Amino acid sequence: MKKNKTMIVAFLAPAVIMFAIIFIYPIIRTVAMSFFKIEGVTDAVSKWQFSGLANYIKLFNTQLFRISMWNIFRIWLFGGIIVMGLALLFAAILTSGIRFKSGFRAIIYMPNVVSAVALATMWLQYAFSPKFGLFKSIGDLLHWKWLSKFQWLDPSHLFLALLVAYCFGMVGYHMLIFASGIERIGTEYFEAATLDGANRIQQFRYITLPLLKGVTKTNITMWSVSSAGFFLWSQLFSMVVSNTQTITPVVYMYQNIFGAGNSMTERNSGIGAAVGVLLSVCVVVIFIVCDKIFKDDDIEF
Amino acid sequence: MAKEKKVRERVNWRKELHLAPGYIILSLWVLFTFVLLGWVVVASFSTSKEIFSGQVFKFASGFHFENYVKAWNTSNVSVFFTNSLFYASISCALLILVCAPAAYVLSRFTFLGNKIIQSGFVASMGVPATMIVLPLFGLVAGWNVLNVSIANRAVLIFLYVGINVPYTTIFLLTFFGNLSRAFEEAAAIDGCPPMKTFWKIMLPMAQPGIITVTIFNFINVWNEYFMSLIFANSDKVKPVAIGLYGMINSMRYTGDYAGMFASVVIVFLPTFILYIFMSEKIIAGITGGGVKG
Repeated sequence: MKKNKTMIVAFLAPAVIMFAIIFIYPIIRTVAMSFFKIEGVTDAVSKWQFSGLANYIKLFNTQLFRISMWNIFRIWLFGGIIVMGLALLFAAILTSGIRFKSGFRAIIYMPNVVSAVALATMWLQYAFSPKFGLFKSIGDLLHWKWLSKFQWLDPSHLFLALLVAYCFGMVGYHMLIFASGIERIGTEYFEAATLDGANRIQQFRYITLPLLKGVTKTNITMWSVSSAGFFLWSQLFSMVVSNTQTITPVVYMYQNIFGAGNSMTERNSGIGAAVGVLLSVCVVVIFIVCDKIFKDDDIEF
Repeated sequence: MAKEKKVRERVNWRKELHLAPGYIILSLWVLFTFVLLGWVVVASFSTSKEIFSGQVFKFASGFHFENYVKAWNTSNVSVFFTNSLFYASISCALLILVCAPAAYVLSRFTFLGNKIIQSGFVASMGVPATMIVLPLFGLVAGWNVLNVSIANRAVLIFLYVGINVPYTTIFLLTFFGNLSRAFEEAAAIDGCPPMKTFWKIMLPMAQPGIITVTIFNFINVWNEYFMSLIFANSDKVKPVAIGLYGMINSMRYTGDYAGMFASVVIVFLPTFILYIFMSEKIIAGITGGGVKG
């Protein structure tokens, strides 16, 4: 038993120490920072000035931050509906007994493994290009004038472009989660339903969907977590035209703290910390709400 | 599995007809993906002039491999590429060294704090990077080490490892949990001490899980963006994702589109090739390990 104790400590120590340095210490300090006025990120605690909720109040009074929150909400909601809808549809098709299942699955998931910078560049510089873009070619091919003429990178359409490009890459991951959930449902349910005369669509509606509660919860949680960290796509798309259509809270925070020559507000790291805390609170709230809505039932797998 | 094979023996045309809408939807999506990637690959072999006139598939002026040579040599891609390769390999190795013992102990022994550590690891996977980046930056900037490139590299690797510790540990934990305890019991009877049992017997047995999680870690580190953007201080230490961003920024002004697409291909190729060979393993890893995450 004594031996086990040293082994437990020796084996756990590296991982737990790293975890404490990278997660626990920064999280506690960020929460604390959000209540203080701090000139520079590196300032010692003694230089911090307690300001209560002033950072949060200031954030909500800053129009650019409100826009960024609204943008991330739009991405979360509309993007979520599109991605979950497509992912569920693809998962249903994949598990319906089609051929080349693993081939389809692998190709649809593929955008998740390639560098997002490369992917975003493909969309920005090629697919959305008004001169030689993919959508223009499709529009020309089908003689859909509205599609070939559509200016994706126009400031007023940039958000739509961002949403399309981002969702395209995200569908694969959520499809895999849905598909694995569907595959775990016992075939006897479908056999019984077929005997009772239920068609495929009815089976999907009354057997598959109710039994997918657990994986739906997983999917929504994962989607919310990736939305909260939404940064790269926003930064790359904002580079095209500088407007507020595609700015997100993380980009706002980055420009405020690390951006050069940005005079949006005075230098205050406390505000950056408050952005982080707000985003984390959003994730936690979504998680709790999901937990309430998709309560684990007895019929769950 | 056996059942699936039986169905596949003969093409059941009535069944296939039923599934036709499904085939059409998936095929369109796949076709779109192919065209999107394929065009970029083709464009990277052509010239900026041909790209703008929409004639990339004709190769009127032949293949232009020099786009790659140019991107590799003059735009620093070779530096970024070697950096990323270095960071990703070292981080992956360190992650296994740090996480495999921890995962083993967490899966095998009951002790005070075991559940807390596990839930802490799981919860931290949902923490946005914004929540941790400021104190970490304060800490590192306080040491004044970001101007020394070796120290900067070490900081980056430390971050890559630290961020992926929870995921790697939880992934390996479920894997160790599924291994039979009979091996350790047999080893103990033969007088092998527990620590030696881990290194000599259990770790080699966990090899499939280690390979899968290493692929994930490699892809994660290769594609990591936010932390690298903040902590990589000079062109000398930048990984590909950040380097590519800077290059695209400058190429918009030089107008070298062919060179830009060549750089894009160079950046996405490593993980893409890894995926071509390992897609089954990667997909199994997501659906097996990620579902209850």
